[in-house]
Formats: sequence, C-alpha cells, structure tokens
Amino acid sequence: MSGLHDLQAYEVVEGIKQGLFSAEEYFSSVIKTLEHVESRLHSFITLDTDKALSCAKVIDGKLKANEDIGQLGGVVVGIKDNISTKGIRTTCASKILESYVPSYDATVIQRLKQNGAIILGKLNLDEFGMGSTTEYSSYYPTHNPWNLDYVPGGSSGGSGAAVAAGECTVSLGSDTGGSIRCPASFCSVVGLKPTYGRVSRYGLISYANSLEQIGPICRSVKDVVMIMNIISGKDNKDDTSMSSSPITINNKLEKFEIAIIKDLIDGSDDEVKRTIYSASEKFSDIGCMLDEISIKHLNYALPSYYTLASAEASSNLARYDNIRYGFNLPIEEYKWDTYFSDVRKNFGEEVKRRILIGSYVLSSGYYSKYYLKARGLRSLLKLELLKLFKKYDLLIGPTMPILPFKFGEKIDDPIKMYLVDINTVIANLAGIPAISLPVGFSNGLPIGLQIMAAPFEEQKLIDVSYALEQSINIQRRPKLE
Amino acid sequence: MISKAEIEYLAKISKINLTEDEAKKFPEQLDKTIEYIDILDELASDHSIILDLQEIKFDELRDDVVRMSGALPITRNLTEEGFLKGPKMK
Repeated sequence: MSGLHDLQAYEVVEGIKQGLFSAEEYFSSVIKTLEHVESRLHSFITLDTDKALSCAKVIDGKLKANEDIGQLGGVVVGIKDNISTKGIRTTCASKILESYVPSYDATVIQRLKQNGAIILGKLNLDEFGMGSTTEYSSYYPTHNPWNLDYVPGGSSGGSGAAVAAGECTVSLGSDTGGSIRCPASFCSVVGLKPTYGRVSRYGLISYANSLEQIGPICRSVKDVVMIMNIISGKDNKDDTSMSSSPITINNKLEKFEIAIIKDLIDGSDDEVKRTIYSASEKFSDIGCMLDEISIKHLNYALPSYYTLASAEASSNLARYDNIRYGFNLPIEEYKWDTYFSDVRKNFGEEVKRRILIGSYVLSSGYYSKYYLKARGLRSLLKLELLKLFKKYDLLIGPTMPILPFKFGEKIDDPIKMYLVDINTVIANLAGIPAISLPVGFSNGLPIGLQIMAAPFEEQKLIDVSYALEQSINIQRRPKLE
Repeated sequence: MISKAEIEYLAKISKINLTEDEAKKFPEQLDKTIEYIDILDELASDHSIILDLQEIKFDELRDDVVRMSGALPITRNLTEEGFLKGPKMK
C-alpha cells in the first residue's frame, strides 16, 4: 500500500487496530520512503531496520491473538542520538562516542517500547546538542527536506527532517536552548519543549542538565499530545522529574489572553514578521484577546544562556576520558595527562570552544563576573515571566528570527550562530513549556510560531495550537522527487 | 582580550589538545564570545544573588540511599580486584 508513511501516529494506531492495514505494511511504506530520500537528507546516524521489522511483526502477531498492542502500537519512531537506547549505538554525533552501545534504555525509550512503539534508529544532531544547524555533527550535516541547500535547524535537525520527510512518523528530540523548536520551525513540523521536570532526563546524555528536556517532534498537535502522555511523569531515576496531569485535545477553546513579545518581532526578518502578525490575527478570529508586551531582561538572556550552558558543558564533558567506554586506545602506551588530552582532541571544534568558555567563566576571578551574574539574570527573567503569566495565559513570537539559511553561512562565526537561538533560550532559562507550530512559508522556506506558557500549563499550549492548526492550512509534506 | 597563552592554559586544565588550526582561530573567536557575554557585567551586583536557591524545598529531597540503576556494569579497564585501571601517572 502506498501513502501509509504519510499518516499521523494516531491514524496509524487506529488503522492497525481496525485491520485497515498491517503494522508490517505500514512499516514497509516508511522504509520505502526512507530508501528514497535518506541518501539526500542524511537524517539518521544509525538504522536498526531488522529489529524494527521484527517488532512490526510482533505487533501484527499480537493483534491476531487479540492482545493489546499499546497506545502507540506499530508507530515508527526516530530517536535523537543523544538518548540512550539499549543495544543501539548512541554517538551524540561525536567521534568520542562512535563505538558506544548503551547497556540500558532511557526512561522515555522504555515508556515508548512499553506502549508498542517501533524504534527505527538514531537521528543526527550537532555534536552533543551544541549547535543550530547539524553542521557541527562529526558525521555529516542533515539537509532540509524543503530545500536541500538549506540547513534543517538544530540541534535536533535529524529529528525534524526525518518527520517532515516521512522517514519516521514521530521523533524525539532534546531542547537545551531551542534544539526541538528550531528544527520544528525550519522543517514545518510541530515541536514541544516541555516544562523542566515534566519528562524524565534519565538516559539523556547530559550537556547542560539545568536547561535541557526531551520532547516530541510530530506532524500534528494531536500526535504531540499522544507522545507527551506516554513519556511524561515522575521517574525515580531522575529526581528533577515530577508527576503531571495528562493533556488532551479539546475542541472548544477558552478565551485566552495572549501577549505578543514585541522585542522578538522587532528583531526578526521582514518575511518572518509579516507571517507572525498574519498568524496572530487568527487568534482574534478564534476568540482570544491580543496584547503586545516587552520583556525588560531580554537583552541579557542569550549571554546568560551561553554562560550557563558552557559552564555546565565543561563540567559534564569532563567525564569523557575513554577509560570506561570509548574507542580503542590502549592506556599502557601513554602517561596520565597525555592520554586524556590525546583522547579528548577527538571532540569537534564547537564542543572544544564551549568547554574552554565554560572553564573560563567558572575560573577564579571570572566566576562572579560571568557565572554568578548569569545565574542572577536567570532568576530575574523567571520572576519577570511568572509575573507576566499572572496577566496573560500565553506569550507568543517567532520561533526563529530568520528563515532557514544555506550551509556554511554562519559556520565560521560562532556569535552569528549563537544569535539564531535568541528567541528560544528564554523558555529554557525559565523552565517553562514552549511549542513551535508551522504557520507559513516564504520563498518555499518554513516559518514557525513559538507559544510559551507558565510551568506545567502545557494544556493551554495544546488548546491554542490545536485551534490555530485547524484554522491555518499549512502544507506539511515537502516534495522530494 | 583573551590571549593565546590563556587559551593554551584553558586547554591544558580542560585536558584538550588543540589542532594547529584551532590554536590559530580560537583566540579571536573566544574573544568575541567573551566580549558578547560581557554585557552581563552591566547587571548590578545585588542582582547576582542566586535567587533560585530560595526555590529549593529541602523537605522534598530524596533520602540519601544508594539505588541501583538496573544498567549492566561496565567492565572495560577493570582489574581482577575490581579497581579501575588508568594510564601511568609518571
């Protein structure tokens, strides 16, 4: 059967349960698509096709035996390659972990498997999640399925491109400063960064623990709800995780008070501005009240983010010593310092830059000048946002200030690359949930709207995103001939 | 201005060997980054108090007991006695 790879996750589960098609038929359709486009996209680092096919057969067998196939029975899922998968190589797109095969599943993977999801493979990213284009992957960059000359966003670029192109039906990404929302915006799919603590980070390979969360990238808001209800919840293996109420799709929308963050609009390209204003007019059409606000501490958000993220990276990445896991480099032939420095030269340039910046801002003399100020700013920003959320239900703006850009445009200038994240880091610093929803195109390149809510108010994000999704007819599938 | 010598020192304490190309371009790139985050210094020093520490509720912390993760132990570079083997100190 053709076209099964185009289905959304909830349609796949219904179709399999109702016997409209088998899990194996749907799986074959996804693989056919993957074989057609992967050589041009490079979304995946590792594929586990044989195991995935046998899982599809198990789903069909269960259905024949009248057994429960789970809420995600048969759905093909791709996983960002910084999330641990038992028995499947997990590289973080780094040479330093090129042969690392985890002996355990991350909690999110356990929960997906328990609900019948089929793990197809591991998706490309910027090394350790540090980047916004996938150009910092040690393997190869992923290409944007809407225009192969352009970047797909990052760091979860493989996760965004694969879902947009139909190489998998949903994917998991991780978001430290916008790494789910950026590729969701650039690839015209839906991406949610949950509230800090809503989803367990056990098994997510750490880069900046106080900022990062795992979240879904999907082709619809309905699929985001489905995945979130499976991966969310308290986990004894992550003490920062918390229990939360399930989210649902509501067909009736409350009259929300929504504020546009003017500073984010002002700093955006004209095409992005126009599309965001046009999309925000739809909020009035669906009965919401619109206002415009400014955020006092916004100018300090990105410097604060890069100070904190680099400081945490320098500490987290100190563990890569090649002693317990890594590549084949015999310890007998080296002396202590030489061995570790030689091993760690295998980090890519961006990772090295962030480790050095992290060491700098944490060093005596600079700690209070940079790190403590960044911590203080983070608290002030959070207080300011929480105050705004007492007046407004939701804050909106462009997910990305610019359109997807061509490969190589920003790679030689780290500051230019960092500025790409200016709209998204706010949610990570404050620990609040944020979603990117496709709202338009300019010259064939996608534009996403970012919606933010108070901590654990994902339901409001979903309600308004679903209503907006119904009122804006956006092309969801790129044509890859 | 961050000097080449400072970069070399940071690389040494971070245990990272830089390539010739990196050693050449990192001083300028890192200098630009430090210049960019320098804006944080504008914040009054009373803002540098770490307000988010107030949010920790100490009665919600877990008991300090060892819990097994369930993951298989890593045996690479382990001696028969169970010690981790590393490169020679000297």
